[in-house]
Amino acid sequence: MFPLALLPDRLGCKASRRRLLILLALTLGPQAVRGAGADDFFESRVRPLLVARCQECHGAKVSEAGLRLDSRRGVLAGGRSGPAAIAGDIDRSRLIEAVRRVGELPMPPDDPLDPADVAVLKRWVADGLAWSGPGSEGQEGPAPSPVADPDMRLAEALATHWSFRPPQRHQPPALPASFPEDIRRAWSASPVDRFVAAGIAAAGLTPAPAAPPEHLIRRLSFDLTGLPPAAADVDAFAADPSDAAYASLVDRLLASREHAEHWARTWLDLARYADTMGYAFDGQTSLYPFAWTYRDWVIGALHKDLPYDRFVILQIAADLVTPPVPRADLAALGFLTVGRTFMGNEHDVFDDRIDLVTRGLMGLTVACARCHDHKYEPVGMADYYALHGIFASCEIPEQLPVIGPPPPGPEADTFAATMAGLEQREAEYGRTIHERATREAIQHAADYLLETCRPLPRPDGRPPQLADGYEIEQLLVDRLVRKLEGAGPDHPVLGLWVAVRGQSDEAFPTAVAAVTTAWQAAGEAAVNAALRAEVRAAHPAAPRPLAETFARVIARAHAAAGTAEDDAHLAAVRETFTLPGAPLVVLPGEVARVARREEEVELRKRRRDIAALQAKASGGPLRAMVLRDVEQPHDSPIFLRGQSDRIGEVVPRRLPRLLGGEAVDRRSSGRLELARGIASPANPLTARLIVNWAWTHHFGRGLVATPGDLGLRGDPPSHPELLDDLARRFVEDGRWSLRWLHREIVTSHAWRQASRIRCEGHAVDPENRLVARANRRRLDWEAWRDSLCAAAGTLDLARGGGPGIDPVATERIDVRSLYAQLDRQDVPGIMRSFDIANPDAAVHARVRTIVPPQSLASLNAPLVVEAARRLADRAAAAAGGDGDEAFVRSVWRAALSRTPSADEAALAMVWLADERRGESAADAAADGRHFGPRERLAQAVLATAEFEFLD
Amino acid sequence: MTARAATPVSRREALVRSGLGLGWLGAASLLADEGRSNVPATLAPRPPHFTPRARAVIHLFANGGPSHVDTFDRKVALDAYAGREIPVSLKTERRTGTAMPSPFAFRRHGESGLEVSELFPALARHADRLCVVRSMHADVPNHEPSLMLMNCGDPRLVRPSAGAWVTYGLGTENQNLPGFVAMCPGGYPIKATENWRSAFLPGAFQGTYVDTRKRRVEDLVQHVNHPVLDRETQRRQFGLIAGLDRRHLADRGPDPLLEARLASLELAWRMQAEAADAFDVSREPQHVLERYGDDVQGRQMLIARRLVERGVRYVQVWHGEGQPWDSHEDIAKNHRKLARESDRAIGALLDDLVGLGLLETTLVLWGGEFGRTPTVELPSDAGVKAPTGRDHNHYGFSVWLAGGGIKPGHVHGATDEFGFRAVENRMHVHDLQATMLHLLGLDHERLTYRHSGRDFRLTDVHGRVVSEIVA
Repeated sequence: MFPLALLPDRLGCKASRRRLLILLALTLGPQAVRGAGADDFFESRVRPLLVARCQECHGAKVSEAGLRLDSRRGVLAGGRSGPAAIAGDIDRSRLIEAVRRVGELPMPPDDPLDPADVAVLKRWVADGLAWSGPGSEGQEGPAPSPVADPDMRLAEALATHWSFRPPQRHQPPALPASFPEDIRRAWSASPVDRFVAAGIAAAGLTPAPAAPPEHLIRRLSFDLTGLPPAAADVDAFAADPSDAAYASLVDRLLASREHAEHWARTWLDLARYADTMGYAFDGQTSLYPFAWTYRDWVIGALHKDLPYDRFVILQIAADLVTPPVPRADLAALGFLTVGRTFMGNEHDVFDDRIDLVTRGLMGLTVACARCHDHKYEPVGMADYYALHGIFASCEIPEQLPVIGPPPPGPEADTFAATMAGLEQREAEYGRTIHERATREAIQHAADYLLETCRPLPRPDGRPPQLADGYEIEQLLVDRLVRKLEGAGPDHPVLGLWVAVRGQSDEAFPTAVAAVTTAWQAAGEAAVNAALRAEVRAAHPAAPRPLAETFARVIARAHAAAGTAEDDAHLAAVRETFTLPGAPLVVLPGEVARVARREEEVELRKRRRDIAALQAKASGGPLRAMVLRDVEQPHDSPIFLRGQSDRIGEVVPRRLPRLLGGEAVDRRSSGRLELARGIASPANPLTARLIVNWAWTHHFGRGLVATPGDLGLRGDPPSHPELLDDLARRFVEDGRWSLRWLHREIVTSHAWRQASRIRCEGHAVDPENRLVARANRRRLDWEAWRDSLCAAAGTLDLARGGGPGIDPVATERIDVRSLYAQLDRQDVPGIMRSFDIANPDAAVHARVRTIVPPQSLASLNAPLVVEAARRLADRAAAAAGGDGDEAFVRSVWRAALSRTPSADEAALAMVWLADERRGESAADAAADGRHFGPRERLAQAVLATAEFEFLD
Repeated sequence: MTARAATPVSRREALVRSGLGLGWLGAASLLADEGRSNVPATLAPRPPHFTPRARAVIHLFANGGPSHVDTFDRKVALDAYAGREIPVSLKTERRTGTAMPSPFAFRRHGESGLEVSELFPALARHADRLCVVRSMHADVPNHEPSLMLMNCGDPRLVRPSAGAWVTYGLGTENQNLPGFVAMCPGGYPIKATENWRSAFLPGAFQGTYVDTRKRRVEDLVQHVNHPVLDRETQRRQFGLIAGLDRRHLADRGPDPLLEARLASLELAWRMQAEAADAFDVSREPQHVLERYGDDVQGRQMLIARRLVERGVRYVQVWHGEGQPWDSHEDIAKNHRKLARESDRAIGALLDDLVGLGLLETTLVLWGGEFGRTPTVELPSDAGVKAPTGRDHNHYGFSVWLAGGGIKPGHVHGATDEFGFRAVENRMHVHDLQATMLHLLGLDHERLTYRHSGRDFRLTDVHGRVVSEIVA
């Protein structure tokens, strides 16, 4: 049974209840259908409802639970749980049970039907399930269509779905005459207000009164900076709450660094920021030593109000833009690289980046197309793998680029010296591997030559291990094959092998003979003498003997270097096989690829030492977590069903077709074109997404309630014209300035409404979609912790930046929460219980729960206890010898930014006096762990709902 | 009536109001979720899809991969082939050699005649209550992906754990305790907190990790006590907070959020007492402590019982940090040690669940992320010096279940003659998950969550309810 509407009663909303009843009677009353036939009723009321609300999942394309609601027969036959409806029997019809949401399966799952619609369906069932036209008995419903043609789906979606069409500017409507004059005057200036007002008026409501100045400045301060206002600022604003005073307050807060910090954290949610790569195998560090350079870059960019389009472009392609950006801006690329590393599975990494740039920046769920064409959006696997190719054409360099010097000093000197030593150790070991690998490759020259005869790819996918335990290096085989292909049959050294390597064993002797015969005809110069002599001596008639013959010549040539035996022929053999750049020589850059297991361990250890030193970052240079294009960018094939071993057609790198599908410059990965395509005024999604994102955070609810999904499955906007108009003005009037956008929103009167729940609004619009009041909100983890630090008086706003701090440590209550080092593998429980964003995928808005662990933290967390101690000390110092009244006043002003009411002050003072009576002298004189009445009072104030909530 | 029911009520309010009405308001948590309000981010109990058989789960995780051929899946052929190659050869993580007979003796137990090796004498007393599935199989022979598959239903991608799904689907019955508790003594298993994560589900559904190597309650449960104040002093402080909050509410309300906050505060206060009680095994009589054994396993099994008794929905008990059951070497010694550590406590746990009448409604699952090869692992540079252990085996392994609507005294499925590969009534991990959810009254295809534009579920697009093991 659905819970009864208790709230309006408690609000004393009898009038609204009655009006609602009348309203319902008007919509549902018999006159609505009187005189019309059952078929008309079906066509005008039932069919539209079934189409709009049921058939998406229970229709021809998708029939969840086997149920189809697009024909009478389908309704009667039902699905897995039996008939959907029984003609004339409301009580036994599961359809009715479902839409009334009283049974096991409330439907539609997400968005209940309006009561009026439920009544329509009940009437329809009760009257016998009349069905006319397509879908009626004898006239089958529309045949199940084959999977719709992607082109058609694309064209249809582009033409019909709101977010795929370019946003338009709209004339803001005039203010409703029904509003009181003062509201009409205040709300007339801002287009935002006029759009909102129209919606409120259409529902028969009026806006809420303006919030009291004390509430407003607190809300504004948290909204723009994530910090409480100073009590003195509250007093000043309460004394002069004029529009001018408000405007200058807004300007001051928007210009502050704290504003950039606060919104940077919000952006970092979207960027799925964390300081670690996720799970790392035993013993390996998972720390990203320089993720924070990205965090600090975001703060800096917001602080200078970098236009949003540029902000996006730099985060995707800072390394590719022209003219080149200052090195410091390379840190922007951390956007792409601070995600999980998925234990090295690169396809998951690409997937993460694809999701980030499509869903994160555009609200488009492209990642669904990894395994199949998108079920809902006009996005195909080809779109996905076109983007896959872009990211597969990028790499993270082993050495991250330096973007700034370390602060000079002894730390930097020590760092430089230690680093030089470690780098030398690494280089030396690299040379050892290089020499060993080259020596062994030359020893196995015959095997390498034989490998070039085998077809590729190998059936088992890996190069063979030889009898002596040596593993053939595929790298060298590939290089040798390329060399052979480039050489041709006339090559003096390789010609023979080129001519015979493709021959079968039977044909081999003849083929060799043919070449040696030809040598005689061609004369001395045509062939390498050293080789010829050896071949003549050995008479090789099968592949292996011939390869070994070559190997002997190679070994002799290699050994002869610098000796008296050397001659031009041997030198030519060396040049062909064993000089740097020749096929059997491992290049210094390749040592990691040819290292044996134990060598790899040692090499990794030495590299880890370097990484560990860099990771400390104290004394070392600052580095950016960049991505760069690979030398040879390439397209990706479609992986059938998302499986990398089931290769389909290769897709050229390009933007999704939904965005025009433009191809990228073949010589680059295509990141720059991708970035420009996203941050383009022509992109219908990007500006809408970010405008809605900002709105969501300012109001606690978006114009689109699914801020990460603007696609076909997302919620439609509550105020489409407002969203479009604001998006266009953001780009055109605001020139992509986020500060412009924040100002536009917080200076609106819609935003400045009071948050008190009013009964008539609540009855009509319980979720406050219409913005007929402000939404009360719980502070996020960061704002809550920062408020504790602010109340404690320990917060030092000049600190922050650089490597992160431990946000739970009571010693670090001097630093703002966003400067935490965040391990995505191990988020502290207290932060989780305050719903910090899951750092594994773009989060546009956090879940906000109210659960007991939050209160447990307020009651018992060391962080709170420490803040209470400091707050008590601070308030006692401020009160001096003035006693409890001054103390209580100081606590309130420090913690809640206001003076306590007389009532509150009296309550607190009586409480203190009572507590003190129970306190023995010994307690009072106890050591540092003493937590006396004043400390306890301070903690109590920090644990109040007022501290934790915004009006 | 119609009009009242028809009054528009948002889902978030419904939670709060029904909370007020039914007295579990404290559980109600309000949300502005990432999308529309399509999910209750609350631990309040919710009705399942259909009548459940089990209302709680205890998952005993023998992490590292216990050997099925040494515990619950006897293979006489291994004795016959001792020291010889067997005709089945499947690729596992490392190289293995010839057949390795089990170093442990098997014996039939109970009326069902279930064969259990000598490793688990205390457990074997419950043979007629167990359902051994001998035909389990997973996807790959590596710990990380197999742990993820077993716990989260996907070997690689970031997905919520089974415990998170279950608490999301059903809430939990005791609002004074977490709904999902993961215990692991000494630290984390491989893949750490990912094993009990909530991923994209709200954080309320994440498993609460408890390091059961610790003994003091305040070390076991975060923020369960004030670091300085005694309870009486804190009670007076609590009175002040509640007083201030009521004034605030009177001034600002009525407001469902503030009401929920006040209720949540009061609940936290009760939770302090209840959690301290639940995790404090020293409150058990001496003879009970002795039955479980005064050691880490004894303590954590006892805590598991106390939690389930108090209405906790999902309890996961890991054998220990890292991957203790991973006996690549010296399995005779290592498996014996591991079984000895846990057998007595598991036996006592089952005794108590039976005695308290809880087994009927508590599903107990024991197993690892995979089993082990019937062939001996060869020495290698991975550190194995002597051929005395077994490699990972995901092709076939055993788990056992008990209680909660499971068919007792039953064996389901079989591996081949040697125990290498499940061949008869094969049961994939997704099938196990689908069946567990089924016993809890949840349809694994309907327990979904909308995220990133699509509906996700524990079993992805797989899973079959194996009705053959349901009583």
